[in-house]
Amino acid sequence: MQTRSIYKVPNGKLLKIFLNYNKNNNSINSIKITGDFFAYPEESIEIMENKLKNISLNKEQLLKKIQSIIEEDNIQFIGLNAEGLTEGILMCKI
Amino acid sequence: MKEQWRFLQTGFKTAATNMAIDRAVLMANSEGKVPPTVRFFAWKPPAISIGYFQSLNDEVDLANCKKFGVDYVRRITGGGAVFHENELTYSIILPESHPQISKNIMESYGRICGALVKGLKQLGIESRYAPINDIIADNRKISGSAQTRKLRTVLQHGTIIIDVDVDKMFSLLKVPNEKIKDKLIADVKQRVTSIKHILGKEISFSEVAKAIKTGFEEEFNIKLTKGELTEEELALSKKFEKEFFGTKVWNHRR
Repeated sequence: MQTRSIYKVPNGKLLKIFLNYNKNNNSINSIKITGDFFAYPEESIEIMENKLKNISLNKEQLLKKIQSIIEEDNIQFIGLNAEGLTEGILMCKI
Repeated sequence: MKEQWRFLQTGFKTAATNMAIDRAVLMANSEGKVPPTVRFFAWKPPAISIGYFQSLNDEVDLANCKKFGVDYVRRITGGGAVFHENELTYSIILPESHPQISKNIMESYGRICGALVKGLKQLGIESRYAPINDIIADNRKISGSAQTRKLRTVLQHGTIIIDVDVDKMFSLLKVPNEKIKDKLIADVKQRVTSIKHILGKEISFSEVAKAIKTGFEEEFNIKLTKGELTEEELALSKKFEKEFFGTKVWNHRR
């Protein structure tokens, strides 16, 4: 199922998520993370998008996964954070 | 003796060329082939630049761009969509290890924006840095910037608005909700200002350039010496234009 969300991250930037997810098992098929935030290095957003494939849309699990990717790949966000990204992704479901 | 940095004024160029030059200078600087560089430039035709992470189709009305002869390009830096028309665009490129630049990205934004604030002061405009990446004067945005760090080199570029046509800007940029477009335009008119608006008179690009140049020299305690792009930078920028900024693959990639 293809959906999208627009989420203003508190004290941050405008996050726009394009999400394709599997309704049956509540997991991500594919995702595009767009918006006017900053991420260093920039290419890490594509790594994040790839690593989120097949991840569950359960809030706790999703947040943990995003936090672990940020750590593994040494990603620095400005105007966005793990909580905001989780929120934006889950908003696609409503 | 003050440290000398290179000062480039590359005039009016297309969107793809402008972004290719910034990247070429970043590359040359990362290899130690050129000194820290401050560049001033402008856009012909006028153009929209979008942030690295933005969706082109979601942010830009491509049909209207075509209709009005407005160019578009994806930047290598994050941040938002900008309509470049009557403005001074700057870029600054220097090694991450330079003593004048903080390892901390937010601190370095503040420092570079400090140069712009000092420059605006030369014109009699009081302004201040408003994190993350804006400068405000009279409680309204007058400048926005975006920074990247690649190859241990800092590149920050941004706009200083000389004059702005918000209605034209919104005919080119898409808004999330068409129903509230009129309200949004009214809001942005309240939130954005320009050098011309604050001074209440026309001002030339070269007057603004002179002031902002002084701002950089004061903030970084340096002397900006007029220079040119090297042969290698010119060749690199042609290559980047052809391979990235002038291509559909790059500009439409998100």
